[in-house]
Amino acid sequence: MKKILSSLFLAVLCSLITANAQVRSVTGTVKDEKGVVVAYATVKVKGQASAVVADEKGNFKINAAANATLQVSATGFASTEVRASATSLSITLNHQVDELENVVVTAQGIRKKSKEIGYSYSKVSSDEITVGHSPQLTQALAGKVSGLAVYTVNNSVDPSVKVVLRGYRSLTGNNEALVVIDGMQTTATALALINPNDVENVSILKGGQAATLYGSAGVNGALVITTKQGAKGKLKVSYTNTTNFEQVSFLPAFQNQYGSGSQYYPLVYGQAGYDPSALNRAKENWRPYENQQYGDAYDGSQRIAGRVLADGTSLVIPYADVPNVRLNSFDMGLSQNHQASFQGGDETSSFYLSVENNKINGIVPGDLSDRTGVRVKSSKEYGKISTSFNAAFTQAYYDRTGSDFQNDIINTASWVDLTTMRNWRTNPFANPNGYYNDYYNNPYFNKDINRLKYKDANISGNFDITYRALPWLQFYNRLGIMNNSRTGKNTVEKFQYSDWAKNSAYIPDPWTHEDDYPGIYRAIGDVLGSVADYSTTENVVNNEFQARIQKDIAMVQNKLTLGYSLYQRYTKSISISSSSIVVPEVYNVANRQGNLGGGEANTTERKFGYYADLNTNVKNMEWLNLNLTARYDATSRFFKQTRNANQYSYLYYGGALSFILTDAIPALKSNTLNYAKLRTSYNKNGNDNIPLYGLDLSYTNGANFPYGNNVGLSVGNTLPDADLKPEFVTAMEVGGEFSMFKNRVNLDVSWYKQQSDGQVLTVKVPNTTGFSNLLINVGQVDNWGYEADLKVQVLRDTKVKWDVNLKYSFNDNKVVDLFPGITAFAYGGYSYATSNVILGQRFPILKTNGYYYSADNPTLRRVSPTTGYPVQNTALTERGGTLPRDMVGLGSTVTYKDFRLAFNFEYRGGNFMYSDLGRQMTFTGSGAWTSNRTDQIFANSYYIDPVSGKDVPNTTVKVREPEYALWVNNYRLISENFVAPAWFIKLRDVNLSYTIPSAIVKKSKIFSSANVALYGRNLFTIIDSKNQFTDPEFSYTAGNGSGISNTSQTPPVRQFGFNVNFVF
Amino acid sequence: MKLNKLYIAAFLVLVGTGCKKDYLDVNTKPNSLPTATPAYVLANALNVSAASLVSPNEVGMFWSGHWTQSNGYIISTTLFSYAFTNGDFNYWDGTYDNLYDYQYVIDNATEYNQDYLKGPAKVMKALNYQKLVDLYGNIPYTDALKGVGNLAPKFDDQKAVYESLIGLLDDGIKDLKANAFASTYASSDIVFKGSNSSWIKFANSLKLRILMRQSRVSGRDAYITAEINKIIAEGSGFITGAEVGANPGYVASAGQINPIYNNYGYTETGARVGNNNWPRITDFLVKKLQATNDTFRLKRLAYAPGNEDIANPGVSVKPEIAANYIGIPFGSSAGYLPGASSAVGPVLLVRGQYNRPIVIMTAAEVQFNLAEAKQRYGSTVNLTGTAQSYYEEGVKQHFRAVGASSANVAALLTSKIDDCDFTTTANKLNAIAYQKWLALGYFNGLEAWSEYRKNNYPVTPNSKNYVGTARPLRLWYPGTELGSNGANVNAQGTIDPLATRIFWDVD
Repeated sequence: MKKILSSLFLAVLCSLITANAQVRSVTGTVKDEKGVVVAYATVKVKGQASAVVADEKGNFKINAAANATLQVSATGFASTEVRASATSLSITLNHQVDELENVVVTAQGIRKKSKEIGYSYSKVSSDEITVGHSPQLTQALAGKVSGLAVYTVNNSVDPSVKVVLRGYRSLTGNNEALVVIDGMQTTATALALINPNDVENVSILKGGQAATLYGSAGVNGALVITTKQGAKGKLKVSYTNTTNFEQVSFLPAFQNQYGSGSQYYPLVYGQAGYDPSALNRAKENWRPYENQQYGDAYDGSQRIAGRVLADGTSLVIPYADVPNVRLNSFDMGLSQNHQASFQGGDETSSFYLSVENNKINGIVPGDLSDRTGVRVKSSKEYGKISTSFNAAFTQAYYDRTGSDFQNDIINTASWVDLTTMRNWRTNPFANPNGYYNDYYNNPYFNKDINRLKYKDANISGNFDITYRALPWLQFYNRLGIMNNSRTGKNTVEKFQYSDWAKNSAYIPDPWTHEDDYPGIYRAIGDVLGSVADYSTTENVVNNEFQARIQKDIAMVQNKLTLGYSLYQRYTKSISISSSSIVVPEVYNVANRQGNLGGGEANTTERKFGYYADLNTNVKNMEWLNLNLTARYDATSRFFKQTRNANQYSYLYYGGALSFILTDAIPALKSNTLNYAKLRTSYNKNGNDNIPLYGLDLSYTNGANFPYGNNVGLSVGNTLPDADLKPEFVTAMEVGGEFSMFKNRVNLDVSWYKQQSDGQVLTVKVPNTTGFSNLLINVGQVDNWGYEADLKVQVLRDTKVKWDVNLKYSFNDNKVVDLFPGITAFAYGGYSYATSNVILGQRFPILKTNGYYYSADNPTLRRVSPTTGYPVQNTALTERGGTLPRDMVGLGSTVTYKDFRLAFNFEYRGGNFMYSDLGRQMTFTGSGAWTSNRTDQIFANSYYIDPVSGKDVPNTTVKVREPEYALWVNNYRLISENFVAPAWFIKLRDVNLSYTIPSAIVKKSKIFSSANVALYGRNLFTIIDSKNQFTDPEFSYTAGNGSGISNTSQTPPVRQFGFNVNFVF
Repeated sequence: MKLNKLYIAAFLVLVGTGCKKDYLDVNTKPNSLPTATPAYVLANALNVSAASLVSPNEVGMFWSGHWTQSNGYIISTTLFSYAFTNGDFNYWDGTYDNLYDYQYVIDNATEYNQDYLKGPAKVMKALNYQKLVDLYGNIPYTDALKGVGNLAPKFDDQKAVYESLIGLLDDGIKDLKANAFASTYASSDIVFKGSNSSWIKFANSLKLRILMRQSRVSGRDAYITAEINKIIAEGSGFITGAEVGANPGYVASAGQINPIYNNYGYTETGARVGNNNWPRITDFLVKKLQATNDTFRLKRLAYAPGNEDIANPGVSVKPEIAANYIGIPFGSSAGYLPGASSAVGPVLLVRGQYNRPIVIMTAAEVQFNLAEAKQRYGSTVNLTGTAQSYYEEGVKQHFRAVGASSANVAALLTSKIDDCDFTTTANKLNAIAYQKWLALGYFNGLEAWSEYRKNNYPVTPNSKNYVGTARPLRLWYPGTELGSNGANVNAQGTIDPLATRIFWDVD
């Protein structure tokens, strides 16, 4: 298809120029730089309409004059021009190394020559995507495109990933990029399931400019994914296997000196007999069943862990650190990916079929996912009609724990070897009836009894048809659908404690204390078991009809696309549940006590739009291209029969100009500067960024109602403004593309600014109004930044080929205006750490409580002059923005003979994070920062002299209880302690591959090529020394309130493995 | 060209369909109702009002010295070191949300021919505002609950709000007298099942509470006595003989059992909840009851260490003798594990009794308010009984409410022990204050704390986990209000919850 269209364009363009000369027959062969035949290249005489297509063996025959120039082009190769001076030619096509002449897929599948594009776009090829062999396409894009931030907000066998282009522009609405697969507007669901190996390339349309034609959905930019299609030639069968290992790359910093204990020392400070030694008090604090780790220091003595079991046995172990016990509590993950593809084609048809199975066993023992997918893509040309069909079926199954496994592991004392506790069903000390910890259950028990199992069954695809009605007129229609059905069951296994565990388990001498009591504390409540069964259907239908007109008016050359778009998304979710089950391990809601729980949710949204895209230039002045776009949209999100048309429909438009400096002024062209393009664009985009059904005030069932027949309703808390209308984002961009030194240095720079006005914002209003939120068009947000992509072919003409590319982007935003009277609001988080929108600042801004600092010396932190404890400043204070300002990607590829080494680094920085994990680990005392339990003066502190009222640097007031209360009751509550700069450097992916020389491979007579590779993903991560907690990318929410993470994200992982690929 | 025409035709058809507004007419919320009958809104609002007393009552139980926490949990510094912030104890947002539902009922009842709902809604509105004043002092009242009509409600003076509530209750009584409850919707009234006369008595009792709360404010006597005499003149009287409680129809199913039972006691299947180990009886309360030989009530208020016998609901595992009850010194952070201290007793928790109503007001409280009125104002209030008779009736009502046999009341009342025997107690107001504090405990912890702040009696020891002598006197205005209505919050001046007093808390 692509080739047909591009050659069609060339044909049409060139038919305008006619040449007259002595014509004779010329034959030739087309090969690539390695001498491999290039099948079906298009060969035409420059300036003539007629073209021929080379055959399967690369041979062609064409009539041309001796002074004529032949233009030879083929998909994936740089076009070349050859003088037809001889009658037999050997033509070499180079694989595409730069994209200057490339035809790119822009919004709505409109193909444009790179020269014509007046805005910034990037393209990531299949090779770049598969460097790290990630089974997730989005993760494979991280660090590869300037301005693109891929956030893995949660790791697991089903990672939660967010894709943002050029930062946030909506305060409370969606900021994620639109996903388009083969022209079909789809959703994150399809993106999560696509097989990255099926992807030919991803075009990234960064600004709203590029995506004007997608309507509201494209306001955040778009990832336009083109899947592979069969290459012309005989059937090519390829098989690939990837074996992937996954391990925890780092865990929070732990202390390894103190074991179980809490505040048991019976006397209060100052009371008669109070022991002044923290060491002695810590000894009193030791308990064999504590979840906290504020006991005395490890001494290697034999101590009991927990209590005596019903059979009289007990676990007596050395009171000493078990090295790396938490790390070893996780598994080495193993995944296997098998795939095979079949492709082929001839002059009029192409065919591509792939099957894939990807099985992951995660780092959390027992967590797995299993994805199987088939994709078929075929096209056929019948004279004036070409059709194509593209469909993918994917089934994915996930089985994950619903427990907070990381939290359970990192908060367990290090003297108990958790790795021996894996099998709680057979090991009595691992069983809840015998597990040592009175408060936290065995992590393996928690993980085993809490399961989330779900299956996605996904069908997506499209049919399209192109009809070339007239040389200057084409009609095109594409119908795309995506249907995803998720069925799932969340279960909790029933567990009843033994009477011994509840009432009798005791602590024997010599480890007993007078305040001990029989029975395990956590045995107070039996686990009732539960089951929740649900199914969710998501159905998206998208039809695009286009008329493509290419007509010159006098000297003006025009390409016009008129389109009509229909979009519908429908979802339905139904769940039923029971919070207790009767017979263990039978997970059906029929097996329950009490009422059935559950609910349903349905949504339908529809849009239609008309659009036009005009690309125009003047003959012989092709160095200047003007692109105008306009779209009219109507959306159901703002529709009511009673509303005016201008409240639910809207027109928007944009323009882009590209100027090829080196074509306009050829004198500028030199060996140094080969190509220079300047571009600018301006757009105004409408956006229906309102929560579905946001126009209605809702009346919901009151909590827990109905009670039998007794109905209770509550008035909703979000009040919609009556005049709500779509918001508008204006965007402007200026950029340039430069090629230097024989195209070996390519630089692409852009600057952009986006201004979003009248955002549909869920404003927090005082609850005293009777509502908590108001949905209203308010405010203005500015978003700006610049990007630079530098690609250098450092070594090219030697045996070693070395490419380096560097991407830098800066992005910032500012809340310029909010609702009158409102200067800030919080997205959420914890009461002591929130992410916020603050007028006049970038967003989101992290705020936490913290220390008081001395006005005399701002490095000193206030402590109490009586207790020595740090004083908490309860006011939430700004700690900085949570979105990275600077992002750098560094990629390189080195090729030597049959070896290829590729890697990509990514840096992100300029932002801050809060980790609630730090607070949790201070509570339990597992964090390294709690290591100092001896008598101390709180570091860098001052106090206010009670008499003079002056700040006095603290050199005298010691902390009262450094062995416990300092940490748990004071340090823990000061959230500033768990704020850290969120920068990181990650080796996103690295790949060393070896292509077995074809001479050897061919001898096998089975394979036509073979390749083996070793690769890694996120092999190492560098983070700030103050960040002792976790991966700064993590966030408790995939929403806008980023920057706050907690324990419920699975720890960061590194992955590595090997890959073999055979082509038959 | 045939195909071409077909295409154009298809194009026109598509465009034609798309143009129709019907294509877009899918924007009616399918997941919740577009409108609500006031009766159903009232049912939920009543249930929310009752359920949202559980948490402030707990705080009240702690800060009035009835309860403390066991040491199976690390010490809560917000509760026992008073290190709470404007992010803690936010009873503001939920209460205003609840108040709006009452406002909805008041505003829409006429349209739905449900005028009889206005009275109950107004009474409950007054109750909630009284709660807000007691927690926060100055609050938005006249500007509040107006939606977009006023997005930055100004704060009203707390005393003025208190006075307005009397008017609001009078209005409510007027509505209650004018509109009989439709029997069809009686089940929506989960408090009185549509009994207007009960609502009026409740309104009068609430007026009495609001008035007597101000009894120590100087210069208010004339106002208070005049208003009390108006209540008496009105003639409907006060609630008596039974508590005012709400029960939406609890059933033994998840989320549908009494939230107090579920919070501190058991699940719907009878499994003990972890929180059962959290609240513990203070050493002060246990010792005071022991010292006054008030063991009948002690056994109802607490279980002996070892807790309730699951096989024998309502009865402690250990023998229920006074010496077996162990309280924890208030705010103690170590030394008292759950198994070694007294848990919340059968007055609130008996395994299997998941369907008790949540008490909104006790009959005993009314009697103690009457006793205090008579004691303070003598013949200026037209009350027929004596302070002693109201006092003794109050103690009787409390015995009844906690489930202690009334046969044992007489002994206590004639025990010649201070704070029990009215006749022999020198400081009669202290006796009333102590018995009222005791009677408000468990049912209305928040009221117990308010009375404690007002009377400073009984003198309970301060938290062992707090350095200093201050006690919590109010809450911070919540951060949510500060963030969205900052100017009006800041206009209230500097607030220090350990120093800024509610207007009725004079010392």
